[in-house]
Amino acid sequence: MPQPAPYGREVRIRIGGPAGFGIKAAGQTLARVFARAGYHTFDLTEYPSLIKGGHNTYHLRVSEDEIFSHVMPTDILVALDAPTIALHLGELTSGGAIVFDPHDVAADAIELAGRDDICLVPVPLTDIVYEVGGIKIMRNVVALGAVLGHLEFPLDGLVDSLRHQFAHKAPEIAEQNVAAATRGHVEAANAHCDFPFRLAPRGSVEPFVLADGNEAVGVGALAAGLGFYAAYPMTPASSLLSFMAKHADASSVVVKHTEDEIAAMNMVVGAAFGGTRAMCATSGGGFSLMVEALGFAGVSESAVVVGLFTRPGPATGLPTWTEQSDLRFAIHAAQGEFPRVVLAPGDQTDAFELGWKAFNLADQLQTPVIVLGDTYLSDNRQTQPAFDTAAVTIDRGQLQTTGEVEEYARYRVTDSGVSPRVVPGVVGAQQIVNSYEHDEHGWGAPGEERANRIAQSEKRARKFELAKTLVPKPVEFGPHEAAVSVILFGTTKMPTLEAAKWLAAEGVTVNVLQLVTVWPFPADAVHEFLERSKRSIVIEQNATGQLEGLIREHTLREVGHRLNRTDGRPISPEQVYAFVHDILGRHVELTAAGAIATSEGGR
Amino acid sequence: MPAVKEFVTPLKPTWCPGCGNFGMWEALKRALSELDWQKNEFSVVWGIGCHGNGADFLDVQGMHALHGRAVPPATALRLTRPDLKVIVEMGDGDGYGIGLGHFVHALRRNPDLTIIAHDNQIYGLTTGQASPTTEHLMPTVSTPTGVLEQPVNPIGLALAQDATFVARGFAGDIPHLTELYKQALTHKGLAIVDVMQPCVTWNHLNTFQWFRERVYKLEESGWDTSDRAAAFNLSMTTFHDLTCTPEQCKIPIGVFYKREGVPTYEDRVAASAEPGFKRAEQPRDVSAILAGLG
Repeated sequence: MPQPAPYGREVRIRIGGPAGFGIKAAGQTLARVFARAGYHTFDLTEYPSLIKGGHNTYHLRVSEDEIFSHVMPTDILVALDAPTIALHLGELTSGGAIVFDPHDVAADAIELAGRDDICLVPVPLTDIVYEVGGIKIMRNVVALGAVLGHLEFPLDGLVDSLRHQFAHKAPEIAEQNVAAATRGHVEAANAHCDFPFRLAPRGSVEPFVLADGNEAVGVGALAAGLGFYAAYPMTPASSLLSFMAKHADASSVVVKHTEDEIAAMNMVVGAAFGGTRAMCATSGGGFSLMVEALGFAGVSESAVVVGLFTRPGPATGLPTWTEQSDLRFAIHAAQGEFPRVVLAPGDQTDAFELGWKAFNLADQLQTPVIVLGDTYLSDNRQTQPAFDTAAVTIDRGQLQTTGEVEEYARYRVTDSGVSPRVVPGVVGAQQIVNSYEHDEHGWGAPGEERANRIAQSEKRARKFELAKTLVPKPVEFGPHEAAVSVILFGTTKMPTLEAAKWLAAEGVTVNVLQLVTVWPFPADAVHEFLERSKRSIVIEQNATGQLEGLIREHTLREVGHRLNRTDGRPISPEQVYAFVHDILGRHVELTAAGAIATSEGGR
Repeated sequence: MPAVKEFVTPLKPTWCPGCGNFGMWEALKRALSELDWQKNEFSVVWGIGCHGNGADFLDVQGMHALHGRAVPPATALRLTRPDLKVIVEMGDGDGYGIGLGHFVHALRRNPDLTIIAHDNQIYGLTTGQASPTTEHLMPTVSTPTGVLEQPVNPIGLALAQDATFVARGFAGDIPHLTELYKQALTHKGLAIVDVMQPCVTWNHLNTFQWFRERVYKLEESGWDTSDRAAAFNLSMTTFHDLTCTPEQCKIPIGVFYKREGVPTYEDRVAASAEPGFKRAEQPRDVSAILAGLG
């Protein structure tokens, strides 16, 4: 069966080279230029756990159509060193181009492995940098100019962007960069490649956000009135600490880089005790250290928010790559039993929304709320519609911060399980917030009495029932009845929706149930979805099928098929696309690089 | 002025009869009363251990935190609630063992906290294991042939890390301890009071009698509390052989060192000017931040 071209009208650019060459910064500048010209963009940064050296790439997808994820093919490869060419030649589409510096590798020395459909665009990156009086790191800016020149895309968007970027430096710096980009633009145009697809600015531009997942969570948390953020750096959560530190003063947030994650989580509990909206974030290793204090938050009924941005484990694992293998860990971490909520944003818009809603849930339930993401969310940006900040509301639940109270008891047994909460400073609010089991006042010794233990543990458990009524519901995409039904949580949403778009264009109907809240587990919605599924797939980035197991456990239903990935690379839409075809009895060939083999580059 | 008895809960203390914690409890209540601290003006954060059970007996607005973890929540509470004074009570196993890192980092920060350490040189609640301050070579149930490590020196650590108020107290001298507490509680910046607090059940070496024969008061010796190097040198004299006689080892109590006028951590954090819950009274305008992301 002939394969249609699923990729749409788009260009994919990959910039590669050693760490320290300004690859990500350059790529993000390019993304902004295209986004401001009316294109949808998605970027994927891949890098090893090194500061200098090692092979880094930045992959940018630019499309006229709405896009949801990265894809595997590359149309323009920007090689900031020679090895980049060999490493990524296999991804290049027919008619694709390689922008390179002939000083790094001579054009006639480039091994094209028999491909006569690749156009070489030699640009003397280093010579140009020195000609304009710049420094070597600016090679990336020459290359950006060359990419635009190759696409016959006007340079003014990049010029504006560079002037903005270097506005705080000496004026000649910005002008050197502009000159470098201009020279690159001219050189690429002179290469006379017959590139099959040109881009042009698209006119009016809808308001958009170009944020990575950590920034999106951070904006959500700040919108929600965050007052305290504590963290210890750990990939991929570190950039949220930098984001918070950058905005701390202007937003009047206390931001603390602590001695370790143990301190971070305990500090968050302390700040929450004072009535402040408080958050920490980390990856799995740091969360391991936080677990003790997570239980403290649970038994002390503290309203705290924890960002858990995962990477492949165990232990140090693959520090800069992605995985969803901490789902069960998030749900079960800490000894004993206490209610918690685990929210799983699937993209940056989700991350913003759940970022602020997490605080309302924490306050309403007086219990920890975990925002569960991963590297694919934390590190990557895509154009998203402007975040709906007007929708942000603040619900602090039962909280009194001023005045006085009479006969106050912090852990009053109530029907809802939620006790009226009063912060220290309110007259009459004598209370002990206790890591021990405790009585209504928070005192530990009477807490050991059997009747009290039952009353307090049942009180906490009732909050879990309340949580089920408050948490965000699963979101369904696609037709009500479909040939194939997918259940997923978190970032597999992105490649799955992309693949579903391609499949829909072929007449293959796919619907997707995204579990926005993974805990409490939305058993009823999953059960109902499975009831009307003809063929079901669970897609998740782990080896043991953690979500699949939860589905079995909570619905007593089997899911028909599973798609998992554990090499640290995000599941690609091509993989999902091929998998769906496979279970429908059709075979789709993928290239060694993972692209759809017969797509002719998609145009 | 709140009466001493206003700081007492209806619960009867569960400490062993004669426990040093009683003296510390009494001195703290007296200090709070004499300083006229109202119960809504401060919080106390406890770690875990015999000292931590005091959370049941002091009628305050506080937290009974995790083992070794009293300092971080107290620091955050102080940072986000500039309207509250904050006291930390920790034990030697708790604060100088599992919590030693937090202690040292608190010293680096100089938050406006008072840390009171219940230093009985033993793990009492878990029935007599060696603690980080148990004397070198002393046998315990976890070290039957004697502790092989040198004890942690809290006073020396605090001075090395440039703490701004460093004192040692003795639970057997309540009036002296009350005065020490009052100084510590009114010091602006981190105040650490390490209190020799005999465990009458598990530590049969460092008893009340043993301390009474050895302690002397710094203020009575005309001690200069502004000389950090001298204080550091003096901190070395805490350590002694198990067999040392009262003549051989003298244990100073009182203020080793204090320095006023040092900016606290909170002073350096612009956001700490008003209670953190004020931030969440309405959604924050994030349009400027979003504009930077467009």
